[in-house]
Amino acid sequence: MRLPQGPRRLYERWLARRLPAASQIVLNQKRIFIFPTGYGFFYLLVAALLFIGGINYENNLILALSFLMASLFLVAILHTFRNLSALGLRNGTTESGFSGEEGALEVVLFAEQRAHHCVWLRWPGQDAQQVSVMAGEEESLWLNLPLARRGKISAPRLKVESRFPLGLLRAWSYATLDHYCLAWPRPQESEDCPADGGKNNQRAFSSGQPGNEEFQGLRRYVPGDSLRKIDWKGYARGRGLNTKLFEEPVGGRLWLRWDKLEGLGDEQRLSILCHWVLELDRQHQPYGLVLPGLTLAPDTGDVHRWRLLDALACYPEF
Amino acid sequence: MARIYQVPSHTRLWLTLAVTFCALPQLLKGPLWQGGLFALVIAIRALVNRQRVALPGRIIRSLLLMGAVALTFYSFGRLYGPEAGVALLVSLFGLKYLEVVSQRDAYVLLVLGFFVCATSLLFSQSPLMFLYVLLCMVLLTACLAGINHSDTRASGLQHLKRAGIIMAQAVPLMLILFVLVPRVAPLWNMQVGNGKARTGMTDSMAPGQISELSESSALAFRVVFDGDMPPPAERYWRGLTLSHFDGRAWQQAIPRGMDEARYLYGGRGPTPDWVDALTAGRGDGTSYAYQVIVEPTQRRWLFAMPVPFVSEGGVSLARDMRLVANNPVSQRQSYQVVSVPAATRRLPLVAEEKALMLSIPDESGRRARGLAQQWRLENPSDAAVVQQALRYFRQQPFHYTLRPPKLVADPIDDFLFRSRKGFCEHYASSFTFLMRAAGIPARVVVGYQGGEQNSLGSHLLVRQYDAHAWSEVWLEGQGWVRVDPTGAVAPERVERGLRAALEERDSGGELSGIQFDGFADSGLLGVMREWADYVDFRWQTWVLGYDSQLQLSVLSKLLGQVTPLRVAITLMVSVALLLGLYGLYLFWRNPAHSQSPLEKEFWRLHQRAQACGLALAPGVTPSQLASTIAERWPRAASPAQDWARYYQRALYDPRQKTRKQQMRHLRGLRNRLYKLLD
Repeated sequence: MRLPQGPRRLYERWLARRLPAASQIVLNQKRIFIFPTGYGFFYLLVAALLFIGGINYENNLILALSFLMASLFLVAILHTFRNLSALGLRNGTTESGFSGEEGALEVVLFAEQRAHHCVWLRWPGQDAQQVSVMAGEEESLWLNLPLARRGKISAPRLKVESRFPLGLLRAWSYATLDHYCLAWPRPQESEDCPADGGKNNQRAFSSGQPGNEEFQGLRRYVPGDSLRKIDWKGYARGRGLNTKLFEEPVGGRLWLRWDKLEGLGDEQRLSILCHWVLELDRQHQPYGLVLPGLTLAPDTGDVHRWRLLDALACYPEF
Repeated sequence: MARIYQVPSHTRLWLTLAVTFCALPQLLKGPLWQGGLFALVIAIRALVNRQRVALPGRIIRSLLLMGAVALTFYSFGRLYGPEAGVALLVSLFGLKYLEVVSQRDAYVLLVLGFFVCATSLLFSQSPLMFLYVLLCMVLLTACLAGINHSDTRASGLQHLKRAGIIMAQAVPLMLILFVLVPRVAPLWNMQVGNGKARTGMTDSMAPGQISELSESSALAFRVVFDGDMPPPAERYWRGLTLSHFDGRAWQQAIPRGMDEARYLYGGRGPTPDWVDALTAGRGDGTSYAYQVIVEPTQRRWLFAMPVPFVSEGGVSLARDMRLVANNPVSQRQSYQVVSVPAATRRLPLVAEEKALMLSIPDESGRRARGLAQQWRLENPSDAAVVQQALRYFRQQPFHYTLRPPKLVADPIDDFLFRSRKGFCEHYASSFTFLMRAAGIPARVVVGYQGGEQNSLGSHLLVRQYDAHAWSEVWLEGQGWVRVDPTGAVAPERVERGLRAALEERDSGGELSGIQFDGFADSGLLGVMREWADYVDFRWQTWVLGYDSQLQLSVLSKLLGQVTPLRVAITLMVSVALLLGLYGLYLFWRNPAHSQSPLEKEFWRLHQRAQACGLALAPGVTPSQLASTIAERWPRAASPAQDWARYYQRALYDPRQKTRKQQMRHLRGLRNRLYKLLD
């Protein structure tokens, strides 16, 4: 369906008004469109040919057969509609990624009233995925999302389509889930660490010398602790999951600062910050981030890294 | 959809069955090689599905196609026309099945299947055939559901069930459309014969022909009377008049100097004088109005009592007071007739006609001629000669039999003076000969006499063994008068039919070779035959005969006044109503959570306990339920505990196989418990 630019925009606007985005959508008659498929038209043509044949041969049974085919088509409208109707979609989890790569969104389909067979889900420009949901069950589906730029990439309009049961008709709906993927800035290497605090010698970190960290003790693992700090040896010996605690490093806390990168473009600043977030995380160096309007205290660990990356992705609206 | 589509394995069985069932009617009646072709295709397909062989390549398929076309040409002599065309279509259907790979192929195959179903209805229109086609439609729909269900977990039976549901909903809709959609006149005319030679009358009568017909109990035609029915002795259904005798056989003839255009009147053009004369007599005496539904004969003549008047097109009136169809009767056909017996006297006898009705070959029947001339001298009037002849048949030792001895030299003399054993054709033939020899214009009439009444439909059934031959003589002032010499010899034949006549004088087991399928058999068989005939008759009149005329009368009964707008509105409203009803059924029935058998088991006991007056807290567990029961009814304590223990065991038993057995045991426990409550 290639419409010229103008009407296409009108159509998009109408569709956006008719089907607003939501975090959970249940398909109903307001949302479902239905139209015969190519095969459906072919089938109707055959029914019409049989009708003409029945008239010409004055054969009432052939007429009845053509009526039966037409009736089958009419009943199929209800059944095709029914297969899509009351199908629910809701946001699942997301998988963020660096811009230029791919993220993924999870869409959860739930069937509260009846089973939905052979439903195809598709984003524009992607291959469709097929899923069947049994009554009272849930199925989830991961859809890849190319991340073209940094920031919040919201999910495109999802096309939900089904030809079940007879393939004579196609019922479809557009579901706009207010679901988004965060595209982190693409890391850009830079010599100088845009950080202050700790030792004055910032170059030392970039030269790859290990930080002076002294082992302090163990405490019980809490979700969010960096996997690198888990006492794996102890876990193997059956002492349970424990996280190693280190003494505050000699270098002290590092603050990655936005305003240290004067004179560069916003995206470039973010990319450099991103690179250093990853770099410092690799070195187990506690680091914080100061962006205009957001300050994140120094810490280490996966959750901390993700929080910072997400903040960089969201800049300037957190 | 980038996936490579394959017909799902759970649909293959239905596809094979659908192809086989759709093609079966043609395979049974078509040439033998078609069956072979289908067997080959299905065998290859089965092997391909099991991945034993690869799908045949383009070359093999092309060879098969060319072979099928060549064999069709060989069997039918052509590739067009109904029989050859259908045979070709069915072969193509089979070959298409061989090459189904993609979903698109499957769709094309299924559409061809619908066509093949329609062609089966071209050749047989019995209720059973229609039921069979419905079965094929269910299979085709199951295939459609299957090829659209790409889930590998799906089971085949699910498709059949779904197809059954959809079909059950479509059939009432079809009935509405069938009744209400206006019938249009044919756009161009097509006729299909079913090409089968059937038993029935031929257009000449030689000795032995009608007695052969008497061995068949096939249906000839049905008659529905609108008002009074004539008494059995008056039920003479004229088919043909035979006026030319060559010494052995009687044949149809037109008087010298008359052409067919003047002899037949089809309702168009100026009316000939004889039509005017007959029409003038339309009000004479009693008349019978009836509808005849005639089975296909592949001939043009129709059957009616004298003097038939028809109003519909396609049927002509002939000068010898019979009806002729414009086209050979290749399908069941019905026509409305009003018969006025007394109108015969209006018809004049012109000189050419009289000459034909008196002609007899010079060399045959010399003794018969002498006898006729003797009667002529003895009797002053023609009517008296007729009576004399009938008296002769009655008084001489003539014998009515289905198996007459062979007549050797001169059929007339040999029969009249030597063998004297014969069937109706012998009597009609010799009587007509005698009349002509005596100078009375006479002719042989063949048709059917009698008929059996179906008490369910109150219609008359005329079978092939009711075939009969009699004579007509032309008497001054009375016109053509029917004389049945057989009636003089065997009056029961006319009054009660052939069967009665033969039973009366069955000496040498004449009945043994004949199948009488009449209703006269008392008991279940006769009743069943009567019902089968009634169903067939109603099918004929209500379904097959539902034409624009009948539709108009039905609609005017339903709607009062039939206008296109009213019909359109009725059609739309009734279709919408029915679809709305289905919608309610499909969308309101809300099995959000259907209870498992075990849950049902629990709730049954729960309900029963509550009904017996036990107060139960919400959210009670099976073991709590059991202990509450035990408190209230101490003697039910141990069965209740048993039940709860077993229930829990069944609930957490991962083995599905023993489920049925467990359920039975649990039900037994619960029933025992029931008796201890209250």
